[in-house]
Formats: sequence, C-alpha cells, structure tokens
Amino acid sequence: MRLFWELCKLSFQRQLTYRAAALAGLATNFFFGLLRAAVMTALYGARREVAGLSLESAITFTGLTQATIAFLSLFSWYDVMNSVYTGDISSDLLKPMSYFTFWLAQDLGRAVAALLMRGLTIMIAYALMFRITLPRGWQQWLALAVALLLSWLVSFSWRFLINLAAFWTPNALGIGRFAFGLSWFLSGFLMPLRFFPDWFVRLCNLTPFPATINTVIEVYLGVLTGPELIQALLGQVLWVFILVMTGHLVLRAGVQKLVIQGG
Amino acid sequence: MWSAIDLYYRLIGAQIRAQLQYRVAFLVELIGQAMATGVWFLSLVLILQRFKSIGGWTLGEVSFLYGMVETAFGMMDMLFSGFDPGFFGRQVRRGTFDQLLLRPVDITLQVLGSEFVLRRLGRILQGAAILAVALALAEVRWTPIKLAYLPVVLASLVCFFGGLFIIGSTITFWTVESIEVVNILTYGGSEMMSYPMHIYRDWMRRFFTYIVPGIFLNYYPALFFLDKPDPFGLPPFAPFLSPVAGAGVLAAGLTFWRFGIRHYQSTGT
Repeated sequence: MRLFWELCKLSFQRQLTYRAAALAGLATNFFFGLLRAAVMTALYGARREVAGLSLESAITFTGLTQATIAFLSLFSWYDVMNSVYTGDISSDLLKPMSYFTFWLAQDLGRAVAALLMRGLTIMIAYALMFRITLPRGWQQWLALAVALLLSWLVSFSWRFLINLAAFWTPNALGIGRFAFGLSWFLSGFLMPLRFFPDWFVRLCNLTPFPATINTVIEVYLGVLTGPELIQALLGQVLWVFILVMTGHLVLRAGVQKLVIQGG
Repeated sequence: MWSAIDLYYRLIGAQIRAQLQYRVAFLVELIGQAMATGVWFLSLVLILQRFKSIGGWTLGEVSFLYGMVETAFGMMDMLFSGFDPGFFGRQVRRGTFDQLLLRPVDITLQVLGSEFVLRRLGRILQGAAILAVALALAEVRWTPIKLAYLPVVLASLVCFFGGLFIIGSTITFWTVESIEVVNILTYGGSEMMSYPMHIYRDWMRRFFTYIVPGIFLNYYPALFFLDKPDPFGLPPFAPFLSPVAGAGVLAAGLTFWRFGIRHYQSTGT
C-alpha cells in the first residue's frame, strides 16, 4: 500500500513540473469552452429550458466537459501500449505489485494533479465569464465527489483494457484512436446525452462511457436526485467491477503470450 | 525545379509504400481517423433533431461549413504532415531536423517530404461525404461562378491552415517544447469556422477577421454559395477574398519560417 501512494505521489509531482504545458493546455481547453458555450447559446436561441436543462446549466455543461478532459485523459492515453512496444513492460512486470495497480497508482496521481490544475482552474475561469450553476448542499457535493472518483475508475479501467490490445497487434494505436473517438460521442462529452433521442441514449447506456462524463455532469447539475442518483452511482460501480475483471483476465492472457525481445 | 518535384515524389512515395505495408492496420487507422472527427458531426445531426437550427442556420447550411473545413483541413493535414507542430517539434528536439539542414536540398521541400500521413484520407473522405450531404440538403442554386469558385475556396482553405501549421512549427525553434497554444489557431480555428461566425462574441469574431482572416475562408464564401445576407455589412466583394486571405496566410507563414531558419540554433542533441 505504501508503494501505491509513493507511485501516486511521484506521478503527481511529475505533472507539476510541466507547468508551461499545463498552462498551454489550459488556454486551449478554455478557448474551446468559449466556442462550445457560444454554440450552446445559439442552439438555445429564445428557449429557456431544454430536456430539463436551463441555458445556464447547458453552459455549465460546456465548462464541466472542458474541465474533465485532462482529469480523465479524454483525448489519448497510450502509456501501457508504449511500454509493451518499448519493452519497458518486462521490468514493470517484475515489480512487487500487480501490473494493473502499478498503472492505477500512477494514473491516480496524474488525475488528481489534472483535476486541481486544469479542472478547477477552468471552472473558476468559467465562473468569472459566465453565469454557471453550482451543486447545492453538502449531499450534492458529496455525491459529486463519489461520482468523480467512480468516473475516474471507470475511465482508467477502459483505457487500460484498450491499451492491452498492444499484446496482440503491432498497431494498437488505430484501435485506441477509434475507441477514444467513440468515447467522446457516447460518454456525453460532445453534448449532454439527454439532448439526444431516446433510442440513442439507450444505445449509449449499453457501454461504460456514460458512466464517465454524463454521470458526473448530471450529478453536478442536480438533474439526478433520490433513487435516480443512487442508481447512477451504482451503475458506475457495476462498470468498474466489469471492466476491472475483464482487464485482469485479458492482461493474464496477454502476459502469457508476451515475448520480450532481448537487447 | 523538376528535380525538386521528382525528389518530393520520391520522398512521399516511400512514406506511402511504408504505410501501406500493414493493410489491416492501415484500414483500422483510416476508420479511426474518420471516426474521431465524424462523431462531432453525428452529434450535431442528432442535436439538430431537437433544436432545428443553430443561429438561424439549418442542418444543411451548417453542414456546408463543416464539410468544407473538414475536407480542407484533412487535405492540409496530409500534405503538410511534416509541418505538424507536434511532429516538427519532436524533430527539432531529437536533432533530426539538423540532419535535414546538412543536405544540399531546399529545406522547406525536405520538411514537406519528411512525413505524409496517409490515414488522413479518412478525414478527407468523411469531410467530402458531409459536404455532399450538405449540398443536397441546402439546395444550392448553382451558377457557373459558384461551380468554379468552390474548388478555389477549398484550395484557399488548405493554404490558410497550412500557413498556420508552418507558423506553429517555426515557433518550436524558440520554444523547443511543442506548445499547445498554437492548437488554438489550428484546431480551434477549424472548430470555430465549422459554425456560422455570427454566433460568437464580437472580440472572437474580430480576431478571426482582422488578425487571422479565417472568416473570409468559410463564413463569407458560405453566404455567397447559400445566398444569405451579410449580417456585418462588409463590402460585397468580401466572399471573394478567400484566395487573398489563404495565400496571404501561407505567404506570412513561409516568411516567418525563413526568418526562423536564419535564426535557428540547434538544441545540440
């Protein structure tokens, strides 16, 4: 357990050293946020509320999605894949902890740094620029914290799983790009899922993706309450369970056929 | 001149042959590429079923903007792969750029030939498909001038984005780290130009009118093709400024690039 926190801390500190990169990323995320807020405003036009979301909530949505990009590594994460291709995996497998936990610890450090440096900053900038909504009462803040933690777990475990494709193909990057593209659409990153037709939302809910962003958004905006809220959080738990189990099974199969080239 | 063109074809030809070696992998990459940008459009289609229009523009009309930008950006991203600031920054850091400088061939040509990402075809095809749908939905009233002008606008867009890529690459001479801020102009600019410009705040639109003239490459031509009135009251020739703006940004990029080369100091790696 100590090893876990050490890895996590190291990874956190590594993020803090790339300050220029963080600043540049922040500016980009914020600029895209401005664009998406303008699109949202134009879509609403004279409407006050659509699918239970006010314009204020919809603009907050654009801020929240930009704020989670770095936290959940929404655009790319190919670290495991690269370690398979470079052969670094051979020494990582010898470490006194499971390969999954080894990456989980590092991703936690990365995610926490991203949440503080990028996520929080973007929301503050948004609050200065737009009228945004905030969670009300300690229960909703607590629910948000739980949803954020679970969303990271779901996100990490599907990213890990996709990366394992590297065990079987020399070009897993194409598969990775495909999966990330799909995740933007189905997770509710591009648009709140409740704006989409019902048949499409049902399709999305067959995948783990809504359990990452859409759940966090809906908890934050307060559209989920009581039993619906509990159901959404339990849905996240279920996906964590399924994805972690699958990840371990696939990893075991992959390691068994892994051949490290000497050199 | 001819030897330069011949050399360029050889460099690119080698790249293409290499990328086609793994056919299945290439196909997956192609689909992945089309997917990554296609989902943005699909989400727009689904959203407009509920909202009907965006800033008064229908699905067909917004698709026109979207399709033009996607097709042009995809073509640029393939032709100017060597100038992709992320890719180029890596060459500078690793010192591979220094190797190119030692060769007795024009440096711009070598950088252009140093990378050719064939999988961008996925984005080009996807953009062209959107454009075709847009032209069918928007019921454009075609005239000979419009027909002749459409490829000119596309080519101007390619030059425009290419110029921005070159500027982004040149900046890495000084920053060494690939700085994501250039992405605001390239990826941010293309995203912004995919929607009607009148939906943005004044300062954003002015920036993309007078500093980076993106508005003349997509919004104004679209007003002309779709027979829409100009909400900003610019002179009536504004839709025809595309070639000027496109060539201008490319020329500015190349000038800055030559300036950068003259002042380049290797990282020593």
